[in-house]
Amino acid sequence: MSIEEQLIENAKNGKVLTHKCTDCGHLHLSTAYYCLKCGSKGFEDVLLEGTGTIATYTIITVAPAGFEKYTPYAFVVINLDNSELRISGFMAGITTPADLPVGTKVKITDFDERGIIVEKQ
Amino acid sequence: MSVTFVEKVCVLGAGSTKYGKLADSIADISTQASVSAIDSAGIDPKDIKASYISNVFGIADKQVHIGPVLMSRLGIPDKPSLTIESACGSGSVSFREAYANVAAGFYDCLLVTGVEKVTHTGTEWTTTYFAYCSDFFYEGQAGASFPGLFASMARAYLTEFDATEEDFAQVAVKNHDNGVLNPKAHMQKKITVDDVMNSPVVASPLKLYDCCPFSDGASSVILCSEKFAKANGGDYVEVIGSGRGGSPAALQGREHLTTIPSTKLAVADAYKMAGITAKDVDFAEVHDCFTIAEIVDTEDLGFFEKGKGVQAVREGRTKLNSDISINPSGGLKSKGHPIGATGVGQVVEVFDQLTGNAGARTVNDAKIGLTHNFGATGASCAVHVFQSV
Repeated sequence: MSIEEQLIENAKNGKVLTHKCTDCGHLHLSTAYYCLKCGSKGFEDVLLEGTGTIATYTIITVAPAGFEKYTPYAFVVINLDNSELRISGFMAGITTPADLPVGTKVKITDFDERGIIVEKQ
Repeated sequence: MSVTFVEKVCVLGAGSTKYGKLADSIADISTQASVSAIDSAGIDPKDIKASYISNVFGIADKQVHIGPVLMSRLGIPDKPSLTIESACGSGSVSFREAYANVAAGFYDCLLVTGVEKVTHTGTEWTTTYFAYCSDFFYEGQAGASFPGLFASMARAYLTEFDATEEDFAQVAVKNHDNGVLNPKAHMQKKITVDDVMNSPVVASPLKLYDCCPFSDGASSVILCSEKFAKANGGDYVEVIGSGRGGSPAALQGREHLTTIPSTKLAVADAYKMAGITAKDVDFAEVHDCFTIAEIVDTEDLGFFEKGKGVQAVREGRTKLNSDISINPSGGLKSKGHPIGATGVGQVVEVFDQLTGNAGARTVNDAKIGLTHNFGATGASCAVHVFQSV
């Protein structure tokens, strides 16, 4: 399985596959091939729970092709629990900013044609 | 970065098509802009030793490999060309590559032409093509549009700092005020804060009038050595600083969601090379693809402290002939954003300003102008500083 496929399979189970640098310990999403901090190529896989809080988001009403049928929806960036990492995803059922204050607790539930699927906890 | 330059580099001529919905083909408009730059410089096409072409979506108008087509139309098919893609920052990145080649002494006279032709594909497909400029695995694939990515920065800015959506709207109002004075601008109409606030939401909190339009257009400049410029005669402008930088491709990878790291890296290099600070800049053409972007840019470029850019807009300090004139051309917001052309078009504006050809939008007593242009959400960036001669 490619790196992207591994990340996708884990997202389908609500997990986030990460790469921990074996030299300096810095944590990256698993698409990293070299350490951002020390340049090392050595990583070990660490599986994080796909839970976190909303760092920022937008509610999209004018969508790219393939997403028209889902509008309005939210594109979200989340702070993953127990790490400094963020990851982006798709959230259905969000129509106004009142639905999704920054800091809302969310979790990754799936991966499909809308990318990483995020729902409220 | 420490580099030894062989030559001082100058802009000898500049020209643009009008920006907007254009009927002519991508080959036609790139030639029109190139001819206007050649005429502005007062040179013969045979003086051009090579060309740098910036373009992103040539495939949308059935023409990639534009360089040789343009060279053929200019009667110099034997001259080499290179097409450069760096999303919305393609123009400035192309300019930078041309700059480096003249500075290093490889060529004494180059054509830099930026071009884009997309409006015929319609809003949905243009939105879709642009989303391909994101880190697609994480962003475009999850339904992010470009308005959506900048809206995510806007939401973060509203959360972190003392700012309102009305403040963002002031940027659009100011840039439309400038664009009305620019006959080449796409959106030549004055708007009000209410117009912005009442325009349809594209990606909350950004509304239609917070967004630059999709535009067609082409811009060209002639770049040459100082020796070539002096021998040629006529007006020219000196390039005194050039900087580039990069950022994590996806917003999620950035330490701060309200800062664009590539801008800070590029401008630090450009100021150092020019031997100036932000205070010395008389006016700047900055990358205002969305209202929030201009606020973030003016902070990252050092004109205002982080979080204070919004206050500067509120106080009118970035209007034409105020503290620092930001986007006297009308910026991407009003002049328009033909993405491959935009970075070159900024240099056209600086050339017109510093050679006394900016008409009603002239920045008074301007000596130093800056261009700032980035790709995507600022994953790539180039900054240039220019001085009148």
